[in-house]
Amino acid sequence: MSVLAPIICDNGTGFSKVGFAGNSDPSFVFPTAIATRGSSTQSASAPAIPSKPGHLASKRGVEDLDFFIGDEALANAKTPGYGVHYPIRHGMIDNWDHMERYWEQTIFKYLRAEPEDHYFLLTEPPLNPPENREQTAEIFFESFNIKGLYIAVQAVLALAASWSSNRVTDRTLTGTVIDSGDGVTHVIPCAEGYVIGSAIKHIPIAGRDISQFVLNLMRERGEMATVPPEDQLRVASKVKENYSYVCQDIVKEFRKYDAEPYKYFERYEGEHSVTGRKYSVDVGYERFLAPEIFFNPEIYSSDFLTPLPEIVDDVIKQSPIDVRRGLYKNIVLSGGSTMFQHFGNRLKRDLKLLVDRRLDASVLASGGVQKSSGVEVDVISHKRQRYAVWFGGSLLASLPEFYTSCHTKAQYDEIGPSICRRYQIFGSAT
Amino acid sequence: MILLEPHNVIIQSTLADKIIKPSSVDVQFVDYDGVRFHLSTPERKTVLLLSMHIRCWDELVRYGAIDFLKREYGSLLQSQPEPEYDVSLIIDLEQLPGSNEERDSFIMSVALLKRNALAAPFERGFTSQKGLESAGTGTGDLMQIHYRDEEAIYIQASHDRVTVIFSTVFSDETDRIYGKVFLQEFVDARRQPSIQNAPQVLYSSRDPPLEIRHLPNLRNTDDTGYVTFVLFPRHFANPTNASSTISHIQLFRDYLHYHIKCSKAYMHSRMRHRAAEFQKVLNRAKTEVATTEKKTVSGRTMLSR
Repeated sequence: MSVLAPIICDNGTGFSKVGFAGNSDPSFVFPTAIATRGSSTQSASAPAIPSKPGHLASKRGVEDLDFFIGDEALANAKTPGYGVHYPIRHGMIDNWDHMERYWEQTIFKYLRAEPEDHYFLLTEPPLNPPENREQTAEIFFESFNIKGLYIAVQAVLALAASWSSNRVTDRTLTGTVIDSGDGVTHVIPCAEGYVIGSAIKHIPIAGRDISQFVLNLMRERGEMATVPPEDQLRVASKVKENYSYVCQDIVKEFRKYDAEPYKYFERYEGEHSVTGRKYSVDVGYERFLAPEIFFNPEIYSSDFLTPLPEIVDDVIKQSPIDVRRGLYKNIVLSGGSTMFQHFGNRLKRDLKLLVDRRLDASVLASGGVQKSSGVEVDVISHKRQRYAVWFGGSLLASLPEFYTSCHTKAQYDEIGPSICRRYQIFGSAT
Repeated sequence: MILLEPHNVIIQSTLADKIIKPSSVDVQFVDYDGVRFHLSTPERKTVLLLSMHIRCWDELVRYGAIDFLKREYGSLLQSQPEPEYDVSLIIDLEQLPGSNEERDSFIMSVALLKRNALAAPFERGFTSQKGLESAGTGTGDLMQIHYRDEEAIYIQASHDRVTVIFSTVFSDETDRIYGKVFLQEFVDARRQPSIQNAPQVLYSSRDPPLEIRHLPNLRNTDDTGYVTFVLFPRHFANPTNASSTISHIQLFRDYLHYHIKCSKAYMHSRMRHRAAEFQKVLNRAKTEVATTEKKTVSGRTMLSR
């Protein structure tokens, strides 16, 4: 009997991606939300102790089984008696009670897998405290009795996912990951599978901000007048997803649009979610202005002004000198907000410009005596960017080395939760 | 969620998606008890091939699974299954029923593939009971389904009932204790007046019930237990009752394990709560450090560095 496919479980702040190793897409993508009985404010208190006499079965109710997760949780948010909770905050697990029950239902209701028959690959954010890994291991080994567990850092999985691109020739785990989801964008340098924690930088601009920016632009132009207010943000995010791209030069792009508006302006057709009334809006400059807030943040916010290429450059400059070439050479994109057309090209061009300028300056400073051989800058974009972390996990878990790198149930029983403090990097060719 | 659903959610949601927007797909997934599925589009985007591997297929075929599946799926069933799999269904998205309800029921029936494959021996047991009832005496043959490596279902019909026996093995010590309590509770809970119509449940640890005692290769260790369900004719009198009985009884093992895990999670949440309470008590015991400002005669503040 062949071993059943390992389960890949990537629980993010907003969405959870779960599925089986070997597939190219997760089987389920749903919000990391849980709707439980009781109001959402009193989250800390545990279920009450029953006091009724009689059989054991009748002593306690089934309150702890009465909950929904994912899309069903949001659908039941308005049902009286239920409150929605988000057990993960800023990438880290905040409420272990809820998370344990969330996993319970993910495994039994959605994946329909007997956890005792499967290996699991879970993900964690960079700089996750080791205590959290121990807690996770405790839940998975003691509640679910799983066969084996591997906890991987999200950034490393994103690097592994880039191996699917045909431009990647050597499977290396050294590189800079730009992970941009809905809430926040991280720039994370990795050297041979380990995250350089001191050099990580966060950018407070991500998917949600781009949608808001598109909405602002369209409101200013008066396009949103025909759209019902409750649908406006949704329309803006659809425009962002379906029509936006990164341009190489804003001024030229504006001129192009003004000269031939009919060629470049698109039309978005929508329908009122309640009444079914049709409406349509013109989509114009926001097509190229939306992702521009990564490169010129001043057009959107007044308190964060550093463009993305500069941040990436800073991150790499703060990393140890012996890995900097590797970091420049392998910049990997991950997450939904990096899916814009030509995003990689633009980033590469701007970053190359920064690096070359610095090299020229140092040549000048040395009086032309010392010349650099140049630094190779490359940004990898690939087809699996949206669920890159999950896909990287699926890729790694289908390698034969996965089973030997996992912590097994027997090892856990022998050593205890502290076994998860150390982990083994595998899969890279170097 | 107290009961587990009999249908597979991945099949259901993928099919529903593909009907709206056909695209190429190639996914592998699992179901309880080591069942593997493979859903792919080998030729065209609109023709889906769904294959299933199930451990006890040979036994199921002996008990009439192929006839049952033919009745359920008709021409969808392939005579030659995909290599490495036991059953294959071809679903042509262009030849689906028109109305929405028919479509939903079609999707549901495909999503019940595993349930239907396992339903055949139960169905056979029910019909043989009907035959024996008119004869008034005798027992049918004992059907064995080794659905997991170490666990099996035994089904036997007799003139007034159908007996279903599950052998259970727990790999984990804690699970075994939970399981024992659970199974004893099953027997006790049946005495409540509200569920008098439920099938009778018997639980014995270690000693196999009389019906299967003669079988060779039964495990006789401390961690084995046997759960016996006695189904009376009223449980499968009409087709709807019979099919829901089959759906529920098949998932018994998964139901048991799910609830063991849920109870552990509940225990853990109580433990966390208790630990947090103790933490509060400990924090109260800390002595407060008096923070009085120390000043010199001239009124200047002393600063420690």
